[in-house]
Amino acid sequence: MKTAPELLIVDDNPADVVLAREALAGSAHHCQINSVGDGVEALAFLNRTGDYATRVRPDLVMLDLNLPKKDGLTVLAAVKADPDLRRIPVVIFSTSQLGRDITRCYKMGANCYISKPGNLHDYFSAVKSIEEFWFGFASLPEQGE
Amino acid sequence: MSSAGTKLEVQDSTQSKAKLQVLLVEDNLADAELMLRELRRDGFDIATTVVQTRAEFRRRIKEEFPDIILADYNLGDWRGVEALEILHGEALDIPVIMVTGALGDVTAVECIKQGAMDYVLKDGLARLPEAIRRALREKHERSLRHQAEQDLARKVDELARSNADLEQFAYVASHDLQEPLRMVVAYTQLLSERYKGKLDENADKFLGYASEGAQRMQVLIRDLLAFSRVGRQEAVSGSVDCNAVMAEVLQSLASTVEESGAVVTHGALPDVWADRTQVAQVLQNLIQNAIKFRSKEALVVSVQAEKAAQNWLFSIRDNGIGIAPEYAESIFVVFQRLHARDEYAGNGMGLAICKKIVERYGGRIWVESQAGSGSTFKFTLPAHGPEERVAEQA
Amino acid sequence: MNPNEVDILLVDDSQDDIDLTLHALRAENLASSIFVARDGEEALDFLFCSGAHAQRSFDRPPKLVLLDLKLPKVDGMQVLKRVKGDARTKIIPVVLMTSSKEEQDLVIGYNLGANSYIQKPVDFDEFRKAVKLLGLYWLVVNQPPLATGKLKAAKQGQ
Repeated sequence: MKTAPELLIVDDNPADVVLAREALAGSAHHCQINSVGDGVEALAFLNRTGDYATRVRPDLVMLDLNLPKKDGLTVLAAVKADPDLRRIPVVIFSTSQLGRDITRCYKMGANCYISKPGNLHDYFSAVKSIEEFWFGFASLPEQGE
Repeated sequence: MSSAGTKLEVQDSTQSKAKLQVLLVEDNLADAELMLRELRRDGFDIATTVVQTRAEFRRRIKEEFPDIILADYNLGDWRGVEALEILHGEALDIPVIMVTGALGDVTAVECIKQGAMDYVLKDGLARLPEAIRRALREKHERSLRHQAEQDLARKVDELARSNADLEQFAYVASHDLQEPLRMVVAYTQLLSERYKGKLDENADKFLGYASEGAQRMQVLIRDLLAFSRVGRQEAVSGSVDCNAVMAEVLQSLASTVEESGAVVTHGALPDVWADRTQVAQVLQNLIQNAIKFRSKEALVVSVQAEKAAQNWLFSIRDNGIGIAPEYAESIFVVFQRLHARDEYAGNGMGLAICKKIVERYGGRIWVESQAGSGSTFKFTLPAHGPEERVAEQA
Repeated sequence: MNPNEVDILLVDDSQDDIDLTLHALRAENLASSIFVARDGEEALDFLFCSGAHAQRSFDRPPKLVLLDLKLPKVDGMQVLKRVKGDARTKIIPVVLMTSSKEEQDLVIGYNLGANSYIQKPVDFDEFRKAVKLLGLYWLVVNQPPLATGKLKAAKQGQ
């Protein structure tokens, strides 16, 4: 990573976003965390429209499934259908453990699927693993201007 | 003689519900009158309609729903026995008595076969009243039985629906409760960690209790969810290879088995007819219990199966702490625990779930044990699916 | 090994890299069953249940495919394109594991639907660490699709 990696968290539960930020505070990769609370905002952010015109494209998206306005699957489908956005890895981070939800996400092109754990320790561990893997080991395409 | 298409209506005194509604299928009005006289003489209070043609018959049975039909065999261009077919076609259960001139035995039997209750010869009309009474009695009994069957079916239906509602409720409640609970657990834990020793010492204790309570609730709800899932339609029965399932369960429990130093062995396991995931759940719960309730001795668990009529009987034997016989049944009850919370973790759902699953397939589960000398948990599952079971019994 | 119970499909033509990868995975006890294909054609036969692997079933895919780009017969990108282009196989997680540093390959790979892209470390130790992290992430942290997902959920209930 040349510059600090950019992470977009899409989650309608502010408490979960705070937890993710807590988990990543002090991370060696100094990733910049942005968050939005619904599917419409998520797509506006990614397409850099309206209030988000000056934003940078994120290097990684952590996407919850239960979102107001447009749900996670809709956002996922839109991202993976867009020639400019589809290269951004999307990690589904959701409480659902239903087999069919998981399969559907993979069908739509989700890069991976991680269940939100129920306790603090495992939650932190999951978020840190995600950050460590994608920003520390995986190679990501440049998101350019 | 009358011409086709006319009808004769005879009303005795005033119309009332108590009147016997009689439909006469007869083309000879004089004969009709004779029959009616016989009935009145015997004390019947009747309201009568006479029809002669098929069309008329068809119309009348649908409009008036008579209590009983008296039909002649020879009706000019049709036969009385056709009336039986028509009734059958309209799915109407009205008793029919053939009242006819000389009939060969063969024809008489034919009429009975076609559904007539009885036949009475026109020169033996004295028999008619009793024949009618008997036909009506039988019809009444049939109605009662039909009603009882319908009531039962309706009750079974209500019960099934009520059960489904309850399970749906349990599922939705446990499912929806998980999310806010996750918040309580995560944040009490975060508070605990972040402010440990920074507030007064009571704060640490209070946070500890809150955190523990929330986590216990989480496990409880997860188990409730598992319990309520057992009855839901998600399960798909089929032939399950228990050797493969056992291998998966052991891999799933690999770290727990290793930590405890337990040795889990199994004989050749059969195929059973059930849902694969649920079979895995039963085996997993029982083995986990054996590991949890082990004694100071190195734990040895052995899983065997033997054929028992149409089922397979599984035995899971361990050399753990055992269970006093007086508790052998209550351990399968939901939330029933035998030990204090600080002695052994868990909330008593595991065995209740096993029981629910096994019983779903018509099996039984029980334990043979003594305190201090290990336990053998046994359960049965069907060897074959329903079709093969029927074939075997045939 | 049961061809229908493979955890990882490793596609690589370098024996050294294969040995290293297998060693690292086994040391961490991450996968009980790993199948090695040494060229793109065999990888395709395996995943599409054809040729020498006709007895395989589409219902039991591997939980993870580690795919090198430079392969004989059919190259990695072609394999990726076919796997991600077919409804029967597109949900299988495919991680490109290659020595290529080309930005071009990165973009094309992700655009074709690669789940992730790892540059093979040159250093022996780093390589092992990378494989370990890879395995942990994709087999333990991640929830793979299909039937394998169910039993995992049960395990988390402990």
